[in-house]
Amino acid sequence: MRKRRGQAKIMYIAILIVGIIIGGVIGYVLAPAKTPEEVQDIMSENEELKSKITQLLEKLGKKEITITIWTIGPDPPSEYRYKNFEIAANMLNSWLEKMGSNVTIKVTGEFFVRPVEWGEYKNKFYLAFKAGEAPDIYLTGHEDIGFLAANDYIIPLDNYVKEYWDVIYYDVIPTLWDAVKYKGKIWGVPQDTEARPLYFRKDILRKLGWSEQEINELPKKIERGEFTLQDLLGVAKEAVDKGLVERGILHRVKEGYDYFQFYLAYGGKLWNPETGKMVFSKEAWKKTLKWFYDAVWVYKVISPNQFSGDWDKDFHGPFTSGEALFLSGGTWHKGEWIQKGLLTEESFKENIGYALHPAGEPGMSPVTLSHPLVYTITKQAEERGVADICFILITLVTDPHINSYHSVQSAHLAILYSQISDSRYTQDWFLKDVAYMLKYTTFIPNHPKWGDYSRIVFNVLRAVESGELTPDEAYNVLLSEIQNTLGDDVEIVS
Amino acid sequence: MRKGLAKIRKGYLLVFLVPSLTIIVIFFLVPVVLTFLIGLTNMDYSFKWNWIGLANYLYILKDRWAAKILGNTLFYVFTTLICFNVGMALFISIATTHINEKIGSAFRTIWLLPRITPSTVYALLWLWACRREGYSLFNWILSAFGFPPIDWKLSNPWLIVILVNGFIGTSFGMIIFTAALKSIPEDYIKAAKVDGASTLQIIRHIELPLIKWPIMFVTAYQTLSLLTSYEYILLVTDGGPGLYTTEVWALYSYHLAFAQYGGIVKFGYGAALATILVIIGLIMSVLYWKMFKFRELMLEPKIEV
Repeated sequence: MRKRRGQAKIMYIAILIVGIIIGGVIGYVLAPAKTPEEVQDIMSENEELKSKITQLLEKLGKKEITITIWTIGPDPPSEYRYKNFEIAANMLNSWLEKMGSNVTIKVTGEFFVRPVEWGEYKNKFYLAFKAGEAPDIYLTGHEDIGFLAANDYIIPLDNYVKEYWDVIYYDVIPTLWDAVKYKGKIWGVPQDTEARPLYFRKDILRKLGWSEQEINELPKKIERGEFTLQDLLGVAKEAVDKGLVERGILHRVKEGYDYFQFYLAYGGKLWNPETGKMVFSKEAWKKTLKWFYDAVWVYKVISPNQFSGDWDKDFHGPFTSGEALFLSGGTWHKGEWIQKGLLTEESFKENIGYALHPAGEPGMSPVTLSHPLVYTITKQAEERGVADICFILITLVTDPHINSYHSVQSAHLAILYSQISDSRYTQDWFLKDVAYMLKYTTFIPNHPKWGDYSRIVFNVLRAVESGELTPDEAYNVLLSEIQNTLGDDVEIVS
Repeated sequence: MRKGLAKIRKGYLLVFLVPSLTIIVIFFLVPVVLTFLIGLTNMDYSFKWNWIGLANYLYILKDRWAAKILGNTLFYVFTTLICFNVGMALFISIATTHINEKIGSAFRTIWLLPRITPSTVYALLWLWACRREGYSLFNWILSAFGFPPIDWKLSNPWLIVILVNGFIGTSFGMIIFTAALKSIPEDYIKAAKVDGASTLQIIRHIELPLIKWPIMFVTAYQTLSLLTSYEYILLVTDGGPGLYTTEVWALYSYHLAFAQYGGIVKFGYGAALATILVIIGLIMSVLYWKMFKFRELMLEPKIEV
């Protein structure tokens, strides 16, 4: 009996050791890749910047400065939102070494990726801030600026931007500054922007009998306002009826801002820059809700459960495998599809087309929506005394070549004029092709209560698509909820 | 002298009660009071105490979705209660006490598995079983009968939610009923058998009446427990599919307070909703207390030992 117990003990210990070894091997194999060593020393010619930095660091008197940075995709290809800081820190440290300084900058933090979504990421930030553990640099959507600024979470950057204007900030595409302003001050530095195209499958259109010329004309027809949302429904219905695709049109499966494009396409407005209030255009909402209802229940080209779907099974998967004709998505989806191996560059060029979101009615203009992400500096960074360093790091990553690492891999668009002609950026034919969409783009408002507007719209759209509300009922619910919840913060116009 | 002794006795009582009283006050009373207070504000991530009085509660009356969610909650609580937490538990405990003891207790142990499995693991297993593809567990069973695969979560969300929660809830009732059944003196059963009673008659006329109190206790306890449960609904359907199809009151409060896409949360309104839940729970406790005459339960043991 004793011998048996002794043998059992030895066996358990052996299994434990083997398990630990296996775990170690797995951990090693799955270890994340290191940052590219390739450091483009583009800004090293900038002596003025270098001397500014040296003075600043000497003032601080520390040996090693750690900056914490939080960034998010949630799409995986956008990892350069964080990696660029590592590149910048390496660059900065190499200059400091050459200049004989004994200060080093260390960058720490995280790039959050799906399944973490925006809501959780923002939650985490607010709670960390309250616990005194907020990061120094916080990447977020520009629409958050209103709330963050009004509640003292971030610091205004006007003085910094003015000080470093000639370094790089003169080059930022001017409309992007509108996205980062709140009550007249600048609260963040644009990190990227995108456009949201309507993707379509060229191979399905070919099977519908469209000629190659007609297919290539489609984006231009949409741009001229000749192909409207109604025509979109018609083409999608034809494809579904003929059995060529299972679903006509796909859109995002979770809450977001993309579906506001349909409202904008019907001439709706989201905010009034003069009064700073959000706007509710009655006619546009009526038509938008009717369009969604018709798409699901009359034309039957959108699935009633699209808003409860799964990203891979109801969005990426069906479109990339040819089971859907249209997809209302974003430029970054190209980067995502290629990184996930769902498409190759060649198959994308061959079978996927992209255009603006069509106008609602003839005579209106097509639209797209941009959602610039911005780097902000938290109040706690200022309290820790590292706000200056944070801004320098942000300035270093706001560089045409370094930002292009991000743009090209994740298919986001340029934020600097010089980036548009940057060697790395121009290599990407897709980014060049979609650049025209920025002419038609709009932003969501920088209002602290925008989240309420967004949530109410999402609930109503969900109810319309699942058939719980008719378009008229949905419109009444939408109007009353908006009025009850937002009151004076929104202007109701016809 | 007697008065002095009485005082010392009271002193001792207090000392012994203080630890558990402290825990109850800190972890139950204080949070309830805090929640009520937050419900009187419209606090969000600015963490400012913006007092707005009873505006949140008035808004609940006007809330377009509140009625539907309340209906969902009542449907969910009473269906799960009757079908699983009490019904299935009773069935299992009676069945397993009437067969071979070893097999019976092994079966009951297996029924404990859902409750002891970590909630996300358990939810994942159910999600895999309900997948829309043909190889998922339920579709595989369907195909054995010659039916095509269906997306279970989309077509039968309530079925899945009630099954998920029911399988967990059953084990609580099962344990209590089994213990109660086993504590019934053998003499009653033997006497009934001598009189020629069949098993079903024994169950109906002897066992069930004698475990009346545990049944009522489990009913009351599980009602309150189900009223506030939302964890598994969150993990499996997240209140969907569609708009608030399987959303229950507690989940609605959670969503508004912690799960907003834009990060614009409503602590104040969520707290008001939670307070309403506390009030409903209190009312139901009082109702059950009166209905089931729990006072009698506390007085004298009903089973002769």
